[in-house]
Amino acid sequence: MIVDVNAYLGHFAFRRLRHNAAASLLTLMDAKGIDKAVVSSAAAITYRNAQTGNEELAAEIAGHRDRLIPLAVVNPSYAGWRDDLKICHEQFGVAGLRLYPKWHNYELSSPCCRELADAATVRGLVISIPIRVEDNRQRSWLLNVPDVPLGEIVQLVKACPDARFILLNGLGYTGSPLGQNGNGLPANYAIEISRLSALLADEFEQLIANLGAERLMFGTGMPFNYPDPALLKLEVLNVGNADKEKIRSQNAAAWLRL
Amino acid sequence: MGISRRTFLKSSAVAAMAMGITTLPTAHSGSIAPPHQGKVIDCHAHLTHRNRPSWETEDRKLIEAADKLGIDLLCCSILTPQRPAAPAAFRECNDWTADAMKRFAGRVLGYCYVNPGYGLESLDEIRRCVEGRGFIGIKLYNEHTCTDPVVFPIVELAIELRVPILHHASHSHYFVEDQPRMSDGGHLAELARRYPEAMLICGHICGGGDWEWTIKALRNAPSVLLDTSGSVTDDGTMEMAAAVLGAERLVFGCDMSMTAGMGRIRAADLSKKDKEKILGGNMMGLLRRRNG
Repeated sequence: MIVDVNAYLGHFAFRRLRHNAAASLLTLMDAKGIDKAVVSSAAAITYRNAQTGNEELAAEIAGHRDRLIPLAVVNPSYAGWRDDLKICHEQFGVAGLRLYPKWHNYELSSPCCRELADAATVRGLVISIPIRVEDNRQRSWLLNVPDVPLGEIVQLVKACPDARFILLNGLGYTGSPLGQNGNGLPANYAIEISRLSALLADEFEQLIANLGAERLMFGTGMPFNYPDPALLKLEVLNVGNADKEKIRSQNAAAWLRL
Repeated sequence: MGISRRTFLKSSAVAAMAMGITTLPTAHSGSIAPPHQGKVIDCHAHLTHRNRPSWETEDRKLIEAADKLGIDLLCCSILTPQRPAAPAAFRECNDWTADAMKRFAGRVLGYCYVNPGYGLESLDEIRRCVEGRGFIGIKLYNEHTCTDPVVFPIVELAIELRVPILHHASHSHYFVEDQPRMSDGGHLAELARRYPEAMLICGHICGGGDWEWTIKALRNAPSVLLDTSGSVTDDGTMEMAAAVLGAERLVFGCDMSMTAGMGRIRAADLSKKDKEKILGGNMMGLLRRRNG
């Protein structure tokens, strides 16, 4: 089984996405052998009121809950986020959150974000954080949204040891305590592979060596990204099948209770 | 564990190319992939500058990565760490590329890297490398925008020698401070209008900023080919490039982002025939022009 922890549905403000409706994404998943995908609203990244994106997502995946696992995009600096969280969890049945601190203009260290992390943890929800949405070199003339610095993630995982974080669309972890052996950090975060190098610098295998295969999760970033580059990383990965199975699906299944 | 070419071609619906090409070196011997007549050619690769103590290991890793992904030939250059490159520095890089062409005979093809700001030295170096050492083309980076007149003699010599120019390119909607003389697809289109017979390759569409802008900028510059390399794996890139430019204008590359480079070709909703052209047929067509 393959579980993709890094997928999306809906429109993105700055580029047309294909395969961004449930039926189309499922067709793509079938073609690529991906069994389940963890999805959130792409539109909620730029909607002022992210909750409307969560509502769109819930409607879109109705009838596909066996394969599409929803996450809610919650902005803790926006009015009513506590109500949104409750609705997303109790009515929409989300398995976790996606946070966009740079797009939504708050700090991971801010009290509102820490309160959100605590509230999600009490509810048993995972918290995924995309380090970036797009490559910044292709950004629109309208905005300049930086990547989430890994140092800010370090502080967050330290401050919220009981929370569970999945870090998406990142690289360079081996240059940060996040990817180093004996880093003194709680083992409360997992790293998704879509931007990791799997050959040449080979950060993928270094992270397995440093953190263990239990801390890596398969993800593609589809439909922003083609899924095949991430699938190829798994194919060329020079580890045993037991570790590959953890990365393909077992780690995600355990964290998301699939 | 390697991915065999059989696996790759099966999964991507790309069958072995049947171009019958025999004029270039044979494919690597270490691959577990079955032999076939066509070549998969990475048009944009780099060897490691020897100021890095690990250069030899890193070069070897590049070949091993190519083995794993079923890439037969790597068109390589070495760039100077500090730019603008002075003549002694780019000559040194090209000497190392020539050495790699021997160390990895049959796998590495060389681009001659020069800085057009040093006009006479660059022309001499290109002749030394292309005429004397079997380099297959010229690599230009960001020292000068390609529409700068200092570049024109380089283009004219490339036309005379019938070799392609791979040009670093990017288009961002902001000023890139550390690359003030960056070229983009619009500049390459303008250069192609001035020199329609030149074989120009616009570098790394998937690592060059707004790729939709670049593809549209190149639409009416039919002599410019587009290198598919780069780290950005945005869905739809290959399909738009093929629809707007035609698959015959796309040349496969990785620019060291190996799984991204091969993965996007595997993923693209393009015909088997179009993928064959992109993976090697189009680049082979360019290289064959050298011999008339």
